[in-house]
Amino acid sequence: MGEESKIDGTRDEDLRGKNFGGLKERVPIIEVKNLYKIYKVGDTKVYALGGVDFTMYRGEFCAIVGPSGSGKSTLLNMLAGLEKPSKGEIVIDKVHIEKMKENELVAFRRKRVGFIFQSYNLLKTLNAVENVALPLSFRGMPRKKRNEIARKYLKLVGLEKQMNHMANAMSGGQQQRVGIARALAVNPRIIFADEPTGNLDSKTTMEILKLMRRIVREQNQTLVMVTHDNHLASYADRQFHIVDGKIFKIEECHHDEEDIEEEDIKEEDIKEEGIKG
Amino acid sequence: MRFLDLLSMSVNNLRRRKLRTALTVLGVIIGVASVVIMVSLGIGLNQLMLEMYSSYGDMTTISVYSNSRYMDAASSDSEPMYLTDEVLEQFKHLDHVDGVSPMLSCYVLFKQGLYETTVDITGVSQEYLEKIPLGQGQIPEEGGPMKLIYGNCVIQWFRNSKTGEGYWETQKLPDVDFMNKPMFVIFDMDSYYQSQGGGENAPKPPKKYMIETAGVVEGGVDEYNSYAYSVYTEIEGLKAQLKQIFKKKPIPNQPTNKKGKPYPYFIYDNAVVFVDDMANVTEVQKVISDMGYQANSQMEWIEQSQQTYDIIQMVLGGIGAISLFVAAIGIANTMMMSIYERTKEIGVIKVLGCDMGNIRNMFLIESGFIGFMGGVIGLSISFAVSYAMNNFLGLGQAMMGVDGDISRIPLWLAASAVVFAVFVGMAAGFFPSLRAMKLSPLAAIRNE
Repeated sequence: MGEESKIDGTRDEDLRGKNFGGLKERVPIIEVKNLYKIYKVGDTKVYALGGVDFTMYRGEFCAIVGPSGSGKSTLLNMLAGLEKPSKGEIVIDKVHIEKMKENELVAFRRKRVGFIFQSYNLLKTLNAVENVALPLSFRGMPRKKRNEIARKYLKLVGLEKQMNHMANAMSGGQQQRVGIARALAVNPRIIFADEPTGNLDSKTTMEILKLMRRIVREQNQTLVMVTHDNHLASYADRQFHIVDGKIFKIEECHHDEEDIEEEDIKEEDIKEEGIKG
Repeated sequence: MRFLDLLSMSVNNLRRRKLRTALTVLGVIIGVASVVIMVSLGIGLNQLMLEMYSSYGDMTTISVYSNSRYMDAASSDSEPMYLTDEVLEQFKHLDHVDGVSPMLSCYVLFKQGLYETTVDITGVSQEYLEKIPLGQGQIPEEGGPMKLIYGNCVIQWFRNSKTGEGYWETQKLPDVDFMNKPMFVIFDMDSYYQSQGGGENAPKPPKKYMIETAGVVEGGVDEYNSYAYSVYTEIEGLKAQLKQIFKKKPIPNQPTNKKGKPYPYFIYDNAVVFVDDMANVTEVQKVISDMGYQANSQMEWIEQSQQTYDIIQMVLGGIGAISLFVAAIGIANTMMMSIYERTKEIGVIKVLGCDMGNIRNMFLIESGFIGFMGGVIGLSISFAVSYAMNNFLGLGQAMMGVDGDISRIPLWLAASAVVFAVFVGMAAGFFPSLRAMKLSPLAAIRNE
């Protein structure tokens, strides 16, 4: 961290109070009502989530922030349909997912959700293009068409030169860019990112974070990021602070268009860096 | 997900762990090869046996005899059950019967130049004649004058009438030419013997008839086959000839009725029934036996031997199947290992929206592909081993005393071996693949 984070921090201070929300009509995409997740350990009940309510909107960059064990990952898993809630409702894009069967959930993720993992989770036997095209192949898209789309998104994340590299032969930052391209390739409504920069150094972290934010804004997608780092969370439009399975506070911090444009200039550097790495 | 994508993913996974895949495939290769070789031996033995029997005679024919044929009608109370045209007509209308041929033999003397011999001429139907494989000449047309077909070994029987020596003593083939020189035949043997008896009042020898040769049975003079030692002719021609020669006199060898008079029709020594398929021989044979005639066929022997060989084949196949079973366990083990290793990867593709059925199919294809490779390679090894056994070891000669391939891999065996190997692979991979399908996607999110 250090220098760069300081700069960004000050900028956030400057931007606070500027109006962003008025620019678009807010369409709810994720609605969570009274959500509980209870684990039974012997006779005692452990509340991983104890009654959570919130709404996330289309085109929003939301961060779920909290210390380890606060239940933030559990929340994300339930939003993505990877875990079943004990109680409560999750409505995504007007569809209740809490009652879906496993294969319905798989189909739901295939159609609406993109995923970015902390440890990238690329398939080692495939190259960058094939990795990005993988979720499209689950939709039964022919190889030629899906590789075309994959190349488009790899360009978008600045990996023109690494398209045919195997996943193993890339740096962490590059792998995560492939991961982002993979999440974007299916053109999802929502992208879930679980500690997407957890395995990266601070410089790469910033690049990745800005890249994610820029792209979801451009495409009007909703990005839900889980992190334990308050500073990273401050890049989001809204921060949901979770402590002990409950939402402690929701913080809004508006970044306006100038901010994005300013960062676009920085993207050029990132692309160059990507090529070198 | 498209099948080609599934296939390429599965094959990719196999290529990733070449050594382990190769070892698992090796297990299947050994299993498939041992099953195929064992079964091919069973088939080979069985077919060698059939070939052995068919060299003795046609396997779809039933020989029918009459119990009453050589009994005097006068001495028995019941009406004798002779084989007559009427009875043969009944046989002909049985199910699965293609044709019927009477057999009427007639003891005659052949004479060509110095050489002569006595032999039975067998009168048979045109149908029967047409089944005889000829080396020279051709089958006479129906309805023509009586012509003879000689067995390829008949020539051995001719003796020099002056020296009394024949082929057996001299080892020299008699100077007899069936095709190009005329053959004289004496039908009335009783008169002939009387004339040979010598003395003043010996009657003059009976008339000789020149009978044309239609052909000679295929094969060398020492090559045995079921037609080799007989002389055949078309039955209607023979009957006409006999009637003409003996006129009112009783024809020799024909039974007489209770008054000691000959019957006004011919009574055959035996008959042959042609059945459409080997599988129906036993059934037809039983019907004929139930009608009160004696019926024999090669099938009785073949069925017995076939049962023996079926058991041998099952034992051999069973030995092979054990190794294939072990190979199947190997596949299951490999698949389980592979799933443990790829828990995270399976979780990831599940999170990314890969259908559960697709995950299962991916693993099924993987294990099926192991089976397929093992099947194909195992089959080619089987062909090589089979070729070696047939051509270099001479096992067929040693075990059955017949020339022929002891190991035979028919197309159905080859095809079913591969199909079965794929099936075994998929069956072994079935439970592992279900397990993969049910793996929790959460494993992918967990960070190590």
